[in-house]
Amino acid sequence: MKYITLNDVVPEIFAQREDLRSDIWHSSTVFEKGRTYLVEAASGQGKSSLCSYLYGQRGDYRGTILFDDDDISRFGTEDWSRIRRSHLSILFQEMRLFPELTAMENVRIKNQITRTQSRETIERWFDALGIADKRNTPVAKMSYGQQQRVALIRALCQPFDFLLLDEPISHLDERNGDIMRDIILSEARRLGAGIIATSIGRHLNMEYDKVLSL
Amino acid sequence: MKLIWKLLRRHISVGQLAGFFIANLVGVVIILCGIQIYLDIEPTLSGKDGLIGNDYIIVSKPIKQLGSLMGKNTAQFSEEEIADIAAQPFAESVGAFKASQYGVYARLNTGSKSVSTDMFFESVPDRYIDVDVEQWAFDPESQTIPIIVPRNYLNLYNFGFAQAQGLPQLSEGILESISFDITLYGNYRREQFKGRVAGFSNRLNTILVPMSFMEWANDRYATGQADITSRLIVEVANPADESINAYLQQKGYDVENNSSDNSKIGFLLKLIVSIIVAIGAIISILAIYILTLSIYLLLQKNTEKLENLVLLGYTPRRVAAPYIILTASLNVVILAISIVIVYVVRGVYTARIATALADIADGGIAFTAVAGIIITAAIIAFNSFVIQRKINVISRKK
Repeated sequence: MKYITLNDVVPEIFAQREDLRSDIWHSSTVFEKGRTYLVEAASGQGKSSLCSYLYGQRGDYRGTILFDDDDISRFGTEDWSRIRRSHLSILFQEMRLFPELTAMENVRIKNQITRTQSRETIERWFDALGIADKRNTPVAKMSYGQQQRVALIRALCQPFDFLLLDEPISHLDERNGDIMRDIILSEARRLGAGIIATSIGRHLNMEYDKVLSL
Repeated sequence: MKLIWKLLRRHISVGQLAGFFIANLVGVVIILCGIQIYLDIEPTLSGKDGLIGNDYIIVSKPIKQLGSLMGKNTAQFSEEEIADIAAQPFAESVGAFKASQYGVYARLNTGSKSVSTDMFFESVPDRYIDVDVEQWAFDPESQTIPIIVPRNYLNLYNFGFAQAQGLPQLSEGILESISFDITLYGNYRREQFKGRVAGFSNRLNTILVPMSFMEWANDRYATGQADITSRLIVEVANPADESINAYLQQKGYDVENNSSDNSKIGFLLKLIVSIIVAIGAIISILAIYILTLSIYLLLQKNTEKLENLVLLGYTPRRVAAPYIILTASLNVVILAISIVIVYVVRGVYTARIATALADIADGGIAFTAVAGIIITAAIIAFNSFVIQRKINVISRKK
């Protein structure tokens, strides 16, 4: 997958609004593989909706979203399973970890269907992000900041053309944010992948090829 | 799979699954026992004896006292009467019984004691008898006569005569494997033969020998009486045809049809077994209903986890697998236990009724096991369908 194209897309609940001033809604946007994008928005502008549309969770929008030349509204559940295993990864704002599983189990449950990362790589990321001692702790007993780092490691346990980051550092301090950025960038470069990050204020401290306001 | 299971087994209610397990076990056992009992008992009642099909009736005339005292055979069928029956639309073909016109004396040695009796033979055309041609052939050189004996006679011997006289009881198998001495006499001759039982019949109340033997022996030992036909075997297209009874009543003929009582008992048996199987089926259906509700509840409680797994790239099929494997395993265990129970129950009731019904069908429980496998496969298919459909709904884009 090389391009994600949004043509005249707007969430259904915004369809009647006249006052929308957005680089994305009701406009034409192309995300290109290998480039980095920051989508900035105030709360309530549909930032998480955009991620849900791109990740195939929700379909309550007007307009068309294309992956290369394919309209994603035509994809079935099996298509999405394949895309989510090998083309598109996401770090959810709400993380969606399994609280009763340990940090390592949460990562393995993804890696065991994609068989992408070696045990060593995963251990190294745990170390680098300062949560090595929490590997066998149930996620329910971890802080939001720690959970966010586990969710990132899980998001990297698959090949991807685009990585969606929905407020990736909302719970992290600057130092951990920078470590996270380094890991994300090196993995994205290795795969030649594009990055689409959203933010309502603080954002990953890096050079973006394009900044869009929602 | 281990991790998925660790995740998805949460909220599984052992109580509900145990409830399903016991209820469905009871249901399946009742269904399978009903089928097995039916299979075991039905053949002894329906009078199918393999030697002669159900599509035959045996017609005779009632004996009129006056005529018989005067030495006249009133029960004889004339050529015209036979032709008239053959011309009826219900009759496919008509065959005459041929009776022996010579003396028959049989002797059976059972170890130290022996049983002997005067008796008679009858024949019907060979095409009405469903025995191997080789088994049902007489060769004057071999001196061995194949015989079909009514099963009633064996029962009379075993349960009446043998017990009273201290003689050994004989199974059908034993009787088929031994031969006995037969003496034929008449027309100034007296000659020895061997008799061999070629089969047993439930429906023909006579001692049958091959037509070829009968013609040969009548020729050799008879003193020239004319052939008398007092019983007819009629092949009919449909034994339930009302016009058969109407015709026979109008003519005043008797039908020797000992299967009619049995068919009433057979009908009752079918009715009772149907009720038993229906009760079993209702219990099973309710059990499956419990399981379906339990699984729905379980899936509902685990909705968020299932959604998240699908968002991680798991296919709905893979997410459904643990639940499908769980219910399938339960059903397979239920089937295995049910088959063991049917086997044990069958052992108990066959021992009880073996003396009442001489020949319990020896079909084993293979058919019942196959029926159980089909029922279980259907239950598993239904469960899998319900689980998969629910998970597909959860997986779908909102």
